Amino acid sequence: MKLPRAIQDMRTIKMLLTAAETQAQRAGDGLPGPEHLLLAALDLPDGTARRAFERAGTDPAEFQAAIDEAHRQAMRDIGVLAAGPSRPLPEAAPAGGLYRLTAPGQEVFQAAVRLAKAGRRSPLRGAHVVAAAGDQERGTVARALKVLGVDRGALTAAAGEVLTGH
Amino acid sequence: MVELPSPEDPEAALAAVVALRRLASQLERSAVDQALRQGWTWAHIGQALGISAQAAHKKLAQKVAQERDDT
Repeated sequence: MKLPRAIQDMRTIKMLLTAAETQAQRAGDGLPGPEHLLLAALDLPDGTARRAFERAGTDPAEFQAAIDEAHRQAMRDIGVLAAGPSRPLPEAAPAGGLYRLTAPGQEVFQAAVRLAKAGRRSPLRGAHVVAAAGDQERGTVARALKVLGVDRGALTAAAGEVLTGH
Repeated sequence: MVELPSPEDPEAALAAVVALRRLASQLERSAVDQALRQGWTWAHIGQALGISAQAAHKKLAQKVAQERDDT
Protein backbone atom coordinates (compact mmCIF):
# COMPACT_ATOMS: atom_id res chain seq x y z
CA MET A 1 0.00 0.00 0.00
CA LYS A 2 1.36 3.39 -0.96
CA LEU A 3 1.28 5.82 1.95
CA PRO A 4 0.25 9.43 1.43
CA ARG A 5 3.25 11.69 0.96
CA ALA A 6 2.72 13.61 4.20
CA ILE A 7 2.88 10.39 6.23
CA GLN A 8 5.94 9.19 4.31
CA ASP A 9 7.59 12.54 5.05
CA MET A 10 6.76 12.35 8.75
CA ARG A 11 8.29 8.88 8.97
CA THR A 12 11.42 9.99 7.12
CA ILE A 13 11.76 13.12 9.28
CA LYS A 14 11.45 11.06 12.46
CA MET A 15 14.06 8.56 11.25
CA LEU A 16 16.38 11.31 10.07
CA LEU A 17 16.24 13.45 13.20
CA THR A 18 16.44 10.52 15.63
CA ALA A 19 19.49 9.14 13.81
CA ALA A 20 21.10 12.60 13.64
CA GLU A 21 20.64 13.01 17.39
CA THR A 22 22.22 9.61 18.01
CA GLN A 23 25.17 10.50 15.74
CA ALA A 24 25.74 13.77 17.62
CA GLN A 25 25.61 12.11 21.04
CA ARG A 26 27.95 9.35 19.92
CA ALA A 27 30.51 11.92 18.78
CA GLY A 28 30.26 13.91 21.99
CA ASP A 29 28.74 16.88 20.16
CA GLY A 30 25.92 18.81 21.79
CA LEU A 31 23.14 19.16 19.28
CA PRO A 32 22.97 17.58 15.84
CA GLY A 33 24.33 19.76 13.04
CA PRO A 34 24.62 19.38 9.26
CA GLU A 35 27.26 16.63 9.46
CA HIS A 36 25.05 14.52 11.73
CA LEU A 37 22.05 15.06 9.46
CA LEU A 38 24.15 13.99 6.51
CA LEU A 39 25.37 10.85 8.30
CA ALA A 40 21.74 10.09 9.19
CA ALA A 41 20.67 10.68 5.58
CA LEU A 42 23.28 8.17 4.39
CA ASP A 43 21.54 5.56 6.55
CA LEU A 44 18.02 6.24 5.27
CA PRO A 45 16.49 3.21 3.56
CA ASP A 46 15.73 5.13 0.33
CA GLY A 47 19.46 4.94 -0.49
CA THR A 48 19.47 8.19 -2.50
CA ALA A 49 22.03 9.94 -0.27
CA ARG A 50 24.46 7.05 -0.71
CA ARG A 51 23.85 7.04 -4.47
CA ALA A 52 24.55 10.80 -4.64
CA PHE A 53 27.92 10.29 -2.91
CA GLU A 54 28.80 7.42 -5.24
CA ARG A 55 27.76 9.46 -8.26
CA ALA A 56 30.07 12.25 -7.08
CA GLY A 57 32.87 9.68 -7.05
CA THR A 58 33.23 8.99 -3.33
CA ASP A 59 32.45 6.19 -0.92
CA PRO A 60 29.70 7.22 1.53
CA ALA A 61 31.20 4.87 4.13
CA GLU A 62 34.25 7.17 4.26
CA PHE A 63 32.28 10.25 5.33
CA GLN A 64 32.53 9.64 9.09
CA ALA A 65 36.30 9.15 8.86
CA ALA A 66 36.50 12.36 6.81
CA ILE A 67 34.69 14.30 9.55
CA ASP A 68 37.13 12.97 12.16
CA GLU A 69 40.08 13.85 9.92
CA ALA A 70 38.74 17.36 9.31
CA HIS A 71 38.62 17.92 13.09
CA ARG A 72 42.13 16.45 13.55
CA GLN A 73 43.45 18.72 10.77
CA ALA A 74 41.86 21.77 12.37
CA MET A 75 43.62 20.98 15.64
CA ARG A 76 46.93 20.20 13.91
CA ASP A 77 46.74 23.69 12.36
CA ILE A 78 47.02 25.18 15.85
CA GLY A 79 49.64 22.69 17.00
CA VAL A 80 47.34 20.33 18.91
CA LEU A 81 47.97 16.68 18.21
CA ALA A 82 45.11 14.63 19.60
CA ALA A 83 44.50 10.97 18.95
CA GLY A 84 41.02 9.58 19.45
CA PRO A 85 39.89 8.59 22.96
CA SER A 86 42.14 5.88 24.47
CA ARG A 87 39.06 3.72 25.01
CA PRO A 88 35.56 3.98 23.58
CA LEU A 89 33.49 6.87 24.93
CA PRO A 90 30.73 5.99 27.37
CA GLU A 91 27.70 5.01 25.35
CA ALA A 92 25.46 7.92 24.46
CA ALA A 93 22.02 8.18 25.99
CA PRO A 94 19.23 7.03 23.68
CA ALA A 95 17.95 9.79 21.43
CA GLY A 96 15.32 11.70 23.35
CA GLY A 97 13.17 12.63 20.38
CA LEU A 98 13.25 16.35 21.17
CA TYR A 99 14.45 17.04 17.64
CA ARG A 100 16.55 20.07 18.45
CA LEU A 101 19.26 21.02 15.96
CA THR A 102 22.08 23.55 15.80
CA ALA A 103 21.25 26.67 13.78
CA PRO A 104 23.14 25.41 10.69
CA GLY A 105 21.45 22.04 11.22
CA GLN A 106 18.06 23.76 11.13
CA GLU A 107 19.04 25.58 7.94
CA VAL A 108 19.98 22.30 6.26
CA PHE A 109 16.86 20.52 7.46
CA GLN A 110 14.55 23.33 6.33
CA ALA A 111 16.32 23.59 2.98
CA ALA A 112 15.96 19.82 2.46
CA VAL A 113 12.23 20.00 3.19
CA ARG A 114 11.87 22.96 0.79
CA LEU A 115 13.70 21.03 -1.94
CA ALA A 116 11.42 18.03 -1.40
CA LYS A 117 8.31 20.23 -1.63
CA ALA A 118 9.63 21.84 -4.80
CA GLY A 119 9.88 18.38 -6.30
CA ARG A 120 6.07 18.13 -6.03
CA ARG A 121 5.49 14.39 -6.21
CA SER A 122 8.75 13.45 -4.50
CA PRO A 123 8.66 12.76 -0.75
CA LEU A 124 11.60 13.85 1.41
CA ARG A 125 14.59 11.66 0.63
CA GLY A 126 18.21 11.39 1.68
CA ALA A 127 19.48 13.13 -1.46
CA HIS A 128 17.51 16.26 -0.49
CA VAL A 129 19.61 16.41 2.68
CA VAL A 130 22.78 15.87 0.64
CA ALA A 131 21.85 18.75 -1.68
CA ALA A 132 20.99 21.02 1.24
CA ALA A 133 24.14 20.20 3.27
CA GLY A 134 26.35 20.44 0.17
CA ASP A 135 25.08 23.95 -0.30
CA GLN A 136 26.72 25.18 2.93
CA GLU A 137 29.94 26.92 2.06
CA ARG A 138 31.55 26.72 5.51
CA GLY A 139 31.55 24.31 8.39
CA THR A 140 32.35 20.68 9.15
CA VAL A 141 30.54 19.24 6.12
CA ALA A 142 32.43 21.50 3.71
CA ARG A 143 35.74 20.62 5.36
CA ALA A 144 34.99 16.88 5.45
CA LEU A 145 34.09 16.95 1.75
CA LYS A 146 37.42 18.67 1.10
CA VAL A 147 39.16 15.82 2.95
CA LEU A 148 37.36 13.38 0.65
CA GLY A 149 38.37 15.45 -2.39
CA VAL A 150 34.72 15.96 -3.34
CA ASP A 151 33.59 19.19 -4.92
CA ARG A 152 30.50 20.53 -3.11
CA GLY A 153 28.91 21.69 -6.34
CA ALA A 154 29.45 18.29 -7.93
CA LEU A 155 27.88 16.56 -4.92
CA THR A 156 24.85 18.86 -4.99
CA ALA A 157 24.49 18.27 -8.72
CA ALA A 158 24.81 14.50 -8.21
CA ALA A 159 22.05 14.64 -5.57
CA GLY A 160 19.81 16.48 -8.05
CA GLU A 161 20.51 13.86 -10.72
CA VAL A 162 19.69 11.01 -8.34
CA LEU A 163 16.41 12.70 -7.38
CA THR A 164 15.32 13.39 -10.94
CA GLY A 165 16.61 10.07 -12.27
CA HIS A 166 18.79 11.72 -14.92
CA MET B 1 53.04 24.61 22.75
CA VAL B 2 49.78 25.66 21.10
CA GLU B 3 50.02 28.48 18.62
CA LEU B 4 46.86 30.46 18.21
CA PRO B 5 46.07 30.87 14.52
CA SER B 6 46.36 34.30 13.01
CA PRO B 7 43.08 36.23 13.11
CA GLU B 8 43.74 36.78 9.41
CA ASP B 9 42.81 33.13 8.91
CA PRO B 10 39.37 32.91 10.55
CA GLU B 11 38.57 29.69 8.68
CA ALA B 12 41.37 27.81 10.48
CA ALA B 13 40.61 29.50 13.80
CA LEU B 14 36.89 28.72 13.73
CA ALA B 15 37.47 25.14 12.59
CA ALA B 16 39.86 24.70 15.51
CA VAL B 17 37.24 26.08 17.93
CA VAL B 18 34.73 23.46 16.74
CA ALA B 19 37.28 20.64 16.94
CA LEU B 20 38.48 21.66 20.41
CA ARG B 21 34.92 21.93 21.70
CA ARG B 22 34.26 18.40 20.48
CA LEU B 23 37.51 17.12 22.02
CA ALA B 24 36.64 18.79 25.34
CA SER B 25 33.22 17.16 25.36
CA GLN B 26 34.71 13.73 24.64
CA LEU B 27 37.32 14.20 27.36
CA GLU B 28 34.63 15.32 29.82
CA ARG B 29 32.55 12.21 29.22
CA SER B 30 35.50 9.85 29.64
CA ALA B 31 36.83 11.64 32.71
CA VAL B 32 33.47 11.73 34.49
CA ASP B 33 32.99 8.06 33.80
CA GLN B 34 36.40 7.33 35.31
CA ALA B 35 35.75 9.60 38.31
CA LEU B 36 32.52 7.74 39.10
CA ARG B 37 34.34 4.42 38.85
CA GLN B 38 36.81 5.77 41.41
CA GLY B 39 33.98 6.68 43.78
CA TRP B 40 33.68 10.42 43.17
CA THR B 41 30.34 12.00 44.06
CA TRP B 42 28.45 14.27 41.68
CA ALA B 43 29.20 17.12 44.09
CA HIS B 44 32.94 16.56 43.62
CA ILE B 45 32.56 16.21 39.85
CA GLY B 46 30.60 19.47 39.79
CA GLN B 47 33.30 21.22 41.83
CA ALA B 48 36.04 19.93 39.53
CA LEU B 49 34.14 21.06 36.44
CA GLY B 50 33.17 24.39 37.94
CA ILE B 51 29.45 23.68 37.74
CA SER B 52 26.81 22.59 40.24
CA ALA B 53 26.39 18.93 41.16
CA GLN B 54 22.88 19.09 39.69
CA ALA B 55 24.16 20.52 36.41
CA ALA B 56 26.88 17.85 36.19
CA HIS B 57 24.37 15.10 36.92
CA LYS B 58 21.83 16.41 34.44
CA LYS B 59 24.40 16.74 31.71
CA LEU B 60 26.29 13.49 32.16
CA ALA B 61 24.55 10.99 34.43
CA GLN B 62 22.33 9.39 31.82
CA LYS B 63 25.21 8.81 29.45
CA VAL B 64 27.33 7.17 32.13
CA ALA B 65 24.44 5.09 33.51
CA GLN B 66 23.78 3.77 30.04
CA GLU B 67 27.33 2.53 29.78
CA ARG B 68 27.21 0.89 33.20
CA ASP B 69 24.07 -1.02 32.15
CA ASP B 70 25.91 -2.34 29.12
CA THR B 71 28.93 -3.64 31.06
